[in-house]
Amino acid sequence: MTIFGLAMVTEQALANDAELADEFVLRLSRAEPSAVAEVYDAHHAAVRAFAKRLLGDAASAEDLVHEVFVSLPRAVRKFRGDSALRTFLISIAVNHARHHVRAAQRRRRAISAYGDTKLHESVDPEHEARRKELAALLTRALDTLPIEQRVAFVLCEVEERSSREAAEIVGAPEATLRTRLFHAKRKLRLALESEGVR
Amino acid sequence: MSRDLLSEATRALREAESVSEFEARATRARVMTGLHQTRVRRRTRLAFLLPIAASFVAVSAWGAASGKAQLVLDRLERLVGVKVETPSTASATPKRLAAPSALPVAAPERAARALTHEPEPRPAPPVPAHLAAPARATAGPSASVKRAEPADPALALYRVAHTAHFVDHDPQRALAAWDAYLGAAPNGEFAPEARYNRALSLVRLGRNQEAKSALEPFANGAYGGYRKAEASALLERIAP
Repeated sequence: MTIFGLAMVTEQALANDAELADEFVLRLSRAEPSAVAEVYDAHHAAVRAFAKRLLGDAASAEDLVHEVFVSLPRAVRKFRGDSALRTFLISIAVNHARHHVRAAQRRRRAISAYGDTKLHESVDPEHEARRKELAALLTRALDTLPIEQRVAFVLCEVEERSSREAAEIVGAPEATLRTRLFHAKRKLRLALESEGVR
Repeated sequence: MSRDLLSEATRALREAESVSEFEARATRARVMTGLHQTRVRRRTRLAFLLPIAASFVAVSAWGAASGKAQLVLDRLERLVGVKVETPSTASATPKRLAAPSALPVAAPERAARALTHEPEPRPAPPVPAHLAAPARATAGPSASVKRAEPADPALALYRVAHTAHFVDHDPQRALAAWDAYLGAAPNGEFAPEARYNRALSLVRLGRNQEAKSALEPFANGAYGGYRKAEASALLERIAP
């Protein structure tokens, strides 16, 4: 009886949660500022981290974050609650990333043309300098990859997401994602080797 | 070695320093401003579009109710030379009272024009050779409009009557032709139009008593609103 009662309470709680979630999605789709602000406060760090790792450029990452949250009210109409809202936000970022990747690449090329790479200007200890150098090299190597392979690498290797979750984000089969990851890693190794880093 | 290097670089990218709180707040403010602007734009668009849409609907409804829409379509049809399909008008009007698509319903002032023998620039169905009037039957305002030859003999009769009435302005021949059409198709699709045109021929011939009998059903609403006003006006004019 107690177990049955507990089950009922749990079902009721789940139903209430679902209702609340539906209501929240409805508020989001109406672009209610309070709802969007709530989502931003809860998830901006994750979205920003992904954007920064994918684009390798802070300014482009901020632009992408902005675009994700501005387009959220329209995009959320497709949200069915099958995945977490954070995963959904990352998938929006992936969909909007293409032209931001190009913008970031242009910016990096411009910086490098002016010799302002800042790679060797660090006053940090040696380890910190090497870490920054490696991160910058990897970002430049990522620029040589097609966007799909780049996204797969960042999601699976940098963000350490499971291939299943990454596949859900990009909307592709898991096997496809693993293939993209395989090719991405192969090309990145070659790119790093060609830079002569030891 | 390269594998270790890739792992090390990946870890370095993962551990890159996070964005400052200031940047996060600035982006939040941009997002909120962007949303606000989107909402304002949407409201402005609605404020412009709703009255336009409402006006369009009102004008369409008024046009359909008053028959003006059909007139506009007729003019377009004549201008372009292509038949304009009007499913909404057809569904609003009873089928047996519907004017033929090639011979659209006329405006009220057309009745007066008919009395003054002004030419009716209305297209007509093709005429069979043996029934056509010698000089102008095959030529007319609709000559430039290509239409298929009617297979229906009643329609051919209708065309003959139409040509005599509107092109040749020969009320005697038109009356005979309208009678021929009504004899062949008393309940035909164009019978109401033919009966009304027959009444006009009678008016032109000065056979006012017969014209009165022919016009009265229209004025009394036997055909709904079709030609009711024109028939009433004509009855007043021919009244002794």
